[in-house]
Amino acid sequence: MIKAIIIDDERNSRDIIALMLGKYCPQVQIADTASDCADGIQKIKQHQPELVFLDLEMPDGTGFDVLQGTQEDAFEAVFVTAFEKKFLHTIRFSEVEIILKPIDKESLLQAVQTVAGRILSQASKHRYRVLLDNFNHGKQTSWEMVLPLVNGEDTTINTANIEYLEANTDKCTFYMADGSALQAERGFRHYADLFIPLRFYQVNNTQLVQLSHIHRVMQDSHHILLNSGAKLEITERRKKDLLTFHK
Amino acid sequence: MIPVKRICFLLLIFCYTTSVFAQPAAEDTLLIDLGAPPATVDLRPYITVVETTGHVLSLQQVQGRPFIPPQQSLPAWQNAHKNHRVWDCWLKLSVRNTGGKDSTLTLFTGWHDYMYWYVGTGNGGWTALSHAGLMLDKDDVGRWERYGFPVQVPAGQSRTFLLHIINKSFNGKPLAPVLFNALQYERFRNNGLNTYRAPAVVIQVILGMLLVFLTIAIINYTQLPDRSYLYFAAYIMGLVLFFALRLESKPYQLSVFHRWPMLKYYWDAPAMLFCFYFMYLLFGNAFLNLKERYPYMQRIFNISAACTGGVILICFFCIFWEKYHIPGIIYGYVYLATLLPLLVIFIALAKRSRHHPLIRFFLFGSLCFYMAYLASFLLRIKSLGLTGALGELSAPSMLMMTGILLQAMFFLAGLSYRNKLVHHERTKTQEMLIKQLNKNKELQRKLNEQLEELVKEQTSEILRKKQELEEQRQIQLNIEYDKKLTEIELKAIRAQINPHFIFNCLNSIQLFVMQRDYEYAQKYLSDFSYLIRKTLDFSRRNFITLTDEITYLNTYLGLEKMRFENKMEYDIRVDPALATTELEIPAMLLQPYVENAVKHGMTNPDQTIGQLIIRFQQLDADVLECVIEDNGIGITRSRELRTLPKHHQSSGMEISFNRAELLNKMYNTDIHIEIIDKSHRNFTESGTIVRILIPQL
Repeated sequence: MIKAIIIDDERNSRDIIALMLGKYCPQVQIADTASDCADGIQKIKQHQPELVFLDLEMPDGTGFDVLQGTQEDAFEAVFVTAFEKKFLHTIRFSEVEIILKPIDKESLLQAVQTVAGRILSQASKHRYRVLLDNFNHGKQTSWEMVLPLVNGEDTTINTANIEYLEANTDKCTFYMADGSALQAERGFRHYADLFIPLRFYQVNNTQLVQLSHIHRVMQDSHHILLNSGAKLEITERRKKDLLTFHK
Repeated sequence: MIPVKRICFLLLIFCYTTSVFAQPAAEDTLLIDLGAPPATVDLRPYITVVETTGHVLSLQQVQGRPFIPPQQSLPAWQNAHKNHRVWDCWLKLSVRNTGGKDSTLTLFTGWHDYMYWYVGTGNGGWTALSHAGLMLDKDDVGRWERYGFPVQVPAGQSRTFLLHIINKSFNGKPLAPVLFNALQYERFRNNGLNTYRAPAVVIQVILGMLLVFLTIAIINYTQLPDRSYLYFAAYIMGLVLFFALRLESKPYQLSVFHRWPMLKYYWDAPAMLFCFYFMYLLFGNAFLNLKERYPYMQRIFNISAACTGGVILICFFCIFWEKYHIPGIIYGYVYLATLLPLLVIFIALAKRSRHHPLIRFFLFGSLCFYMAYLASFLLRIKSLGLTGALGELSAPSMLMMTGILLQAMFFLAGLSYRNKLVHHERTKTQEMLIKQLNKNKELQRKLNEQLEELVKEQTSEILRKKQELEEQRQIQLNIEYDKKLTEIELKAIRAQINPHFIFNCLNSIQLFVMQRDYEYAQKYLSDFSYLIRKTLDFSRRNFITLTDEITYLNTYLGLEKMRFENKMEYDIRVDPALATTELEIPAMLLQPYVENAVKHGMTNPDQTIGQLIIRFQQLDADVLECVIEDNGIGITRSRELRTLPKHHQSSGMEISFNRAELLNKMYNTDIHIEIIDKSHRNFTESGTIVRILIPQL
């Protein structure tokens, strides 16, 4: 059994999480619920749960504030939110579980299965540290990022060190400024959506370059030269676009 | 002075033939009855003379000299004095009146330069009676009367008279002393008057013609200032003066220059040199434009003219030193010397006449003169011999005068022709100029037209471009405006359909479905779809009616209340006086403030239930007031709290504020939004009041 707590400011929300957990995840036992941050922190201290379903936005703070308030307590968190855009990078870069409202059965099962696995393997809680790090530093140019690799392990990198990303069938390869290449578990599209708002530019169908790492755009050929000396192809349209809007 | 001489000869012959000679009874005293005098008495047998040359004897000097009868016949005297500058002659006449009456006879001895008339007083003294002379009398016609000296002897007495004659000119005047009675002297005088009248008239006619020529030349000169006219005028002036001076030696005739008797010497031979050589050459030079057409000839002409000028000066010198006869001689030789060269020049010029019509005029004139002079000269040689003819050259005959006139006429005609040519040339040039001018004008006009066309084109081009630019600018502006509007509208939609709200609503519906509370789920779902539909609808419009807004807010607040159950209450109060279906307010302007009020109303730890009041009322005639009031923590504290979250996003309220500003600009209205914290007014209260004033358009 996994002892869990639900923290959400809407009763309807709490009710439906509890309802669905009861229906689909019998291994999860709801110990208590809370309707705001302060209450949530107090309940966590009180029950020492293994799992917390955490709403992101509440009247007196965010789910991250709860996490911050209970740093010494070891529990896995599943974030539940109606709208994640506001904290997209904070959440996605730290590779924590998130369920979007209205909750569908599959995402709930997937999330519970993942955290259950982590609880069993007593996995490292570094992803929460990364999350709080990013949260506390607000909107920034570089993010700490938990990168799941193809070998099943995780590594933590800083986005500032990424030179470019390359699609690699359904996986993605990170080429770092120090010359190393990391084979990521997730696909290129997932990262493209995350990185494009952070001053990365897709020079062709399979490569995404961090703008700050471009040395120069070749005038007479369709190539760009990176600081590391790497030479990437760039399509005609994108070259024009790059020179016009991103220089 | 041939006419004078001729007349004298005639007179002498007349005297010889018509007079009755008194017998030369006594050698030195004329015995005559003055009461009944003979008509004329030739005095030659009765006079005695003292004659000197080179100097003049005074009365005292001559008294010591013996008076002797003239050696030869009187007309021959002149030859003896030819080479002397001054011929001085004292003539003594003694008359005894044998009659019983007093009477006066008249002594005439010709016209001399100086004549003095004395009568003996009987005791050896002399009394000057009168004087006369060409050089002395500067009167007009009257002076001619003084050459007859009165011989008055009382009855039975004797008188001795002295006549002192001085001649300084070359031609010694004939000395033919004759004694006339009154009647006869009158006759003699009339005779002279008539005899001299004919040549005087001729001269006057010539003068008139020359003056006409001169006038024509001057008039032409004023029209066409050309040097040849000046030379021609000088030539004619010279002739006019020459002929006018010839009148001086015509006794009893009018003369012009009697006041200056020396002039006739100065302007005799020099005048002919001046006119017929000096001015003639200069005129030919200018008239034929030899400088350009015949430079060699021009040089010859110039040199000749200069030489002639020199000769003229020499002549003037001679006259000044009283060598009156030398200029005549010089002129004779000059004439002879130039006969052949002139002919050569004529032939040379004639060869060129084909190309130069003016040469013909010049040649004809010159030839007329040349032939006339030559013919006259040859005729004179026949009658007077070579020397005589040379001497007489300076006295023009009728033939010569005709030649002179013809020459002048030809020259004048030439000048006129030349005028015509010049005029013709000028007209041609002017025509050409006018043509050119017209051409230029035409060209200018064309150019102007082209330029105008160009300017017009360019102006229209500029205007077009300007308009295009303006349009583009307008389009750009509109695009930007539209973009901004769209952006704000989009933002508005995004803000108003708060995703949290949407998904939480859906979440609630999901719950009701799962709890099998289908009725509730049905109501919730229909309200929710109404809200979404209206949101999509309103966000495309700028204004909606107040009724629509109230319904919308009601639905929205209903859904919110459902979400939070009993944690909030709301009340929408509408002034019953309001025409809600007519009043218009900006779509989706209030919603963000309402949402905010809902959110804050529930976060006040002091208030268990959030109270939300929305009021609509007419403030002024055309201003709608909307007030949104909550009992939350207040905007001030809320803002303090909001500084904590790191992820700042523009809130719905900000968007609404921007929209209001944009609407103000677009519709030139003045939507006013005011946010008041209740605690600022009263410490016991908390919450926020949003006051929105919407002027009705």
